[in-house]
Amino acid sequence: MAGLELLSEQGFRIDGRKPSELRRIRCKLGVFNQADGSAYIEQGNTKVLAAVYGPHEIRGSRSKILHDRVLVNCQYSMATFSTGERKRRPRGDRKSKEMTMHLQQTFNAAILTNLHPRSQIDIFVEVLQSDGGNYCASVNAATLALIDAGIPMKDYVCACAASYVSDTPIVDINYLEESSGGAELIVATLPKSEQIVFLEQNSRLHEDNLGPVLDLAVKGCKDIHAVLDQAVKDHVAEATAGSSIE
Amino acid sequence: MAEIHLSDAEKTFIIHGVQDNLREDGRGCEDYRHLEIETGLVSNTSGSAKIRLANTEILVGVKAELGEPYPEKPDKGRLEFFVDCSANATPEFEGRGGEELATELSSMLARAYQCPSCLDLRKLSVVEGKQCWIIYVDVLVLEYGGNLFDAASIAVKAALFNTSIPTLTVSHDEGHVEIDLSDDPYDVQRIEVTAAPCIVTLSKLGHSHVVDASSKEEACCLARLMLGVTEKGTVTAMKKEGSGSLDTSSVEDMLQTGRRVGQALNKSLMEVLMSDDKVGKKQHLTGFLR
Amino acid sequence: MPADSRRINGPEKSISPYAFSKPCKDIKITEPSLQRKDGRNPDNIRPIFLKTGLITQAQGSAYIEQDGTKVICSVYGPRAVIRKEEFSMQGQLTCDFKFTTFSCHNRRQYQQDAEEKDFSVQLLEALEPAVLLHKFPKAQVNIMVTVLQNDGSVLAASVTCASVALADAGIEMYDLVIGSSARISGATILMDPCATEEYSDKDSAHVNNGSVTVGLMPSLNQISAVTSKGELEFEHLNKAMKHCVSMCVDLYPVCQQALAVAMETRINADPKT
Repeated sequence: MAGLELLSEQGFRIDGRKPSELRRIRCKLGVFNQADGSAYIEQGNTKVLAAVYGPHEIRGSRSKILHDRVLVNCQYSMATFSTGERKRRPRGDRKSKEMTMHLQQTFNAAILTNLHPRSQIDIFVEVLQSDGGNYCASVNAATLALIDAGIPMKDYVCACAASYVSDTPIVDINYLEESSGGAELIVATLPKSEQIVFLEQNSRLHEDNLGPVLDLAVKGCKDIHAVLDQAVKDHVAEATAGSSIE
Repeated sequence: MAEIHLSDAEKTFIIHGVQDNLREDGRGCEDYRHLEIETGLVSNTSGSAKIRLANTEILVGVKAELGEPYPEKPDKGRLEFFVDCSANATPEFEGRGGEELATELSSMLARAYQCPSCLDLRKLSVVEGKQCWIIYVDVLVLEYGGNLFDAASIAVKAALFNTSIPTLTVSHDEGHVEIDLSDDPYDVQRIEVTAAPCIVTLSKLGHSHVVDASSKEEACCLARLMLGVTEKGTVTAMKKEGSGSLDTSSVEDMLQTGRRVGQALNKSLMEVLMSDDKVGKKQHLTGFLR
Repeated sequence: MPADSRRINGPEKSISPYAFSKPCKDIKITEPSLQRKDGRNPDNIRPIFLKTGLITQAQGSAYIEQDGTKVICSVYGPRAVIRKEEFSMQGQLTCDFKFTTFSCHNRRQYQQDAEEKDFSVQLLEALEPAVLLHKFPKAQVNIMVTVLQNDGSVLAASVTCASVALADAGIEMYDLVIGSSARISGATILMDPCATEEYSDKDSAHVNNGSVTVGLMPSLNQISAVTSKGELEFEHLNKAMKHCVSMCVDLYPVCQQALAVAMETRINADPKT
């Protein structure tokens, strides 16, 4: 890309980060009272809200019932003002539908689905401001919301994206780095068991480089896990502050 | 709108309380609940505001784009309202579930802002008949705890107040029109919203009426009157909503109350926005990280 | 109505020639002594023609004509709800408001636009208070309103027409709902405005320039619908509403008579019942 140097000679990225540095994460659990669980996360300038309802009775047609496990129902939507160019509708376009499906697959792998047969869990994700890494922020927000709702899961699900720019792998890419046409690797992991639950790659990447980029992304997931875990602990501490435990 | 089911006894309790000017949460009939407003939260927009009215949470983003004016109003800019009821508020809004409420809200907002004196659309014209600013006002309903219309209109007014549109210079050059965008990001125009209306909803409960009904109160109210009230006390839009009817004399009373409350609301809102504006960018934004 | 893909649509961008016509001068309606274009006084309403039972397949129907404003309404039901989710112990009312494509100054689209959807909701909320919904549980009544020609005060005419059609269908009601509308311009209140007199936001930026529509149940003295447009001062709005209410009361016998006539002809046609 002419005129746009994604990595400076000093080894800094366009927003001043080092290649292996994450954006600042700020998050909060329990932002809404009406939802069973909710969370808000900011990863740099990407801001996402997630709400979880359930487990509850199946809504709508009975044919959707799964007799051995819970139905995980997701909806991904983006506020019309979230992107640089105004979006015409918040959901229903191809990209949102794909994202919805990806979220569904991811959380089907992480939630202990066999504990609530014939029921439904709703995960609603709303992107308020988008600056790259929408999937990752959505997954992280949804994880926090699920934990807030007290839904049994195998582990946190943490997602992180990585790219490869001028012979250096870079982690947690923002919109500029994402849209520069370089490779993009998106990973969602269960950090403790180091299992990958979702993996997607866009654009071309040399086979030799796949390893380092993937390692960096997985490490990013672990770092995010530490942040999220701390947030959950803080939230629990705050919630129980008034009550003494014997 | 997590569905609320009230028993007859609960309804009677609420209605009797209102008759004695005491509501279930301790307010009087003309009191609003605690209201929090923050502006300038979403950096991708020209202006934004978030409002939290008890459990009702609304985020409004305003985007200014250049486009063509309507052929029948060549000398005016355009103001477009779009409402999205997020499924976060209630699972019923999933997919297209919230659309009905959304169109109702957007048409009420559009009607309230339709009169020429509320918002001077002529200032948004760039080249007459060719180019104008289109102000997209996108309302996102995140949580629903009663009194959606009032909250949305307050948020819209705050977001429009917060909106800054880049200054354009138009130069005519041998029948050729050139539009230049100012390079300075601080060289912006604001939208004058002092005369813009706020919606005041009056809910009829028993023989009295209340403002800012909570979702419980809404569940036992059959008829509501919505008024778009400006700071001067004029009414820019009126609408009766709900499946009940109203006595002719009570409509007059409700109008009186609506005007009184609406004027006070507009006044305090503008005061808050002005004082917030003075603090400017220095203030610490908490957003959702309360 | 779903989009018809086989229909040949006009060019994607076309502009009505009226957009280029010179804006007509502000109708001088501020002088109180003035006669209106069609020779009426400000308080006068247009002559009304109201007839029921035009659409034979429908359970009830009505047609109203106020000079240039022509509205037809049909009522179907009560009929069973089809979808299980719609089950309710209260009867349900649905309302479908549509301008025919040729009814207005500018051509309308086949699909319901925002204004028509808004009118549907307003009409529904005007009629709901009058109908004894608990009398037909698990069932619904569908009201279809079609504007054949729009010459102002459409919503008011639709309300009257729909409530008469409901009565014609034999749906139990507390009262008829009569609609009326007024245009406010300064101190003048014009009752039952025609299309050229109606408020539009193109009008100059004066306060007290707007319109009001009221739906009234005359024998109960209850207002079931009220809506206004344009910036109005409280006193003017209130005065206009009072005018509307008295106009509704004046119209009440007209509707009653139309229903009585319909009933008479029905009895005469079939003496056994």
